[in-house]
Amino acid sequence: MNVKSLVRRNYAKHPRIDFPDYKSSTFRAPKNKKISFSSSNTEILGPIFNKNIIGKLDNDLTLNFSRNKVSPLGHKIIVYGTVSDQFSNPIKGALIEIWQANAAGKYLHDNDENPAPIDPNFAGCGRCLTSSSGYYEFLTIQPGPYPYLNRGIEWRPMHIHFSIFGKSFGQRLITQMYFEGDPLIKICPMVNSIGNKKAKNSLIGVLDTSRSNTQNLLAYKFDIVLRGIKQTYFENRKEGL
Amino acid sequence: MENAKENLDETPFQTAGPFLHIGCMPNAIKINRIYQNDLGEIPFMNKKDADLITIEGSVFDGNGVALDDVMIETWQCDEKGQFTEENGFARLMPNHLTKKFTLKTVKPGSYIGYDGKTHSPYVSLSISSRGLNMTLNTRVYFEDDELKNDPLLSIIDEVNKKNLIAKKIKKNSYLFDIFLQGDKETIFLDI
Ligand SMILES: [Fe+3]
Repeated sequence: MNVKSLVRRNYAKHPRIDFPDYKSSTFRAPKNKKISFSSSNTEILGPIFNKNIIGKLDNDLTLNFSRNKVSPLGHKIIVYGTVSDQFSNPIKGALIEIWQANAAGKYLHDNDENPAPIDPNFAGCGRCLTSSSGYYEFLTIQPGPYPYLNRGIEWRPMHIHFSIFGKSFGQRLITQMYFEGDPLIKICPMVNSIGNKKAKNSLIGVLDTSRSNTQNLLAYKFDIVLRGIKQTYFENRKEGL
Repeated sequence: MENAKENLDETPFQTAGPFLHIGCMPNAIKINRIYQNDLGEIPFMNKKDADLITIEGSVFDGNGVALDDVMIETWQCDEKGQFTEENGFARLMPNHLTKKFTLKTVKPGSYIGYDGKTHSPYVSLSISSRGLNMTLNTRVYFEDDELKNDPLLSIIDEVNKKNLIAKKIKKNSYLFDIFLQGDKETIFLDI
């Protein structure tokens, strides 16, 4: 018999759920301990998304909302990298969805109270599927930092939100990529909700100078690791044992 | 026999924030020029309305306020207990006026898992939002099913078990509220 299971999550390398410095968590973060159990079919299997859902401009945020091909304001960037699992296997066909503020730090969303201007040519929404080598790439503009109400007014470092589906529901990940050199990173409570320094640093996109210098844009590399799936073989055992 | 130990750490989570709908369900917030449809608008493309059940409920914070800025994702097998890649996934956002989410889907069947055990019918559910540094996972079981031998329910005590079980309110219609905190805090799972 062949039993599949996800690699147990190492919570020491994830953010704390209940983190008072991030005010919004006060009345939303559950207080009780999570229940652990062995992976079953729902955690191991799909959903998997088909190529035909992806449109030609879905990973080009500089064009997918612009009218008459007018560029959004701000400087163009490429964000690229690979999606792999914890055993270093590239994940093909992973769905990556991103969202971000415009160059002025404003989201195209009714709930955004930041008094910065919206950009009529930029929605800040994109998606793509990874290639057979796990590669992905987005063309977008540099998101601005923005103020928000936390313990008083605080500023978020520049960031892009990422949502990723691998091959199994248990690999599902939602995170944010930050930008190398941004002084706001080290004072951000959301970043600092992650206690482990190495884990924190793994969320920082690294400036790729060689690629930046050969193209008319800055390039940032951000690699993503999803949970591994283990296969355990039991010999000479009856099903159910 | 087990394969090699993992050599990389999983990328850490960060909160999805208050604006996750831009990236995950843009059409639902009137960003209509990019994707033709939002992902997970209809969990089973191949089923008729008459064959579906409804699961309705709200997500309450620690102050008892029903939230409307959360995203709920659901994932399940079909009525025969089969998981397929292309069907069974849905995304929902509570209605701004009623603060209720509504999932119209197939009533899942029971299945025999990798562990060889029979799992009672359930829908897997996750919640992402502002204030949650990690996505939360739970399950919806149904009160009119045989639940005694389910491998997950059997490791949870009677009181807490109740908040994983949807109440039947009428034919083909269930109620399932989620409590992020408080006396009735929902059981969340380390999946
Ligand atoms: Fe943000």
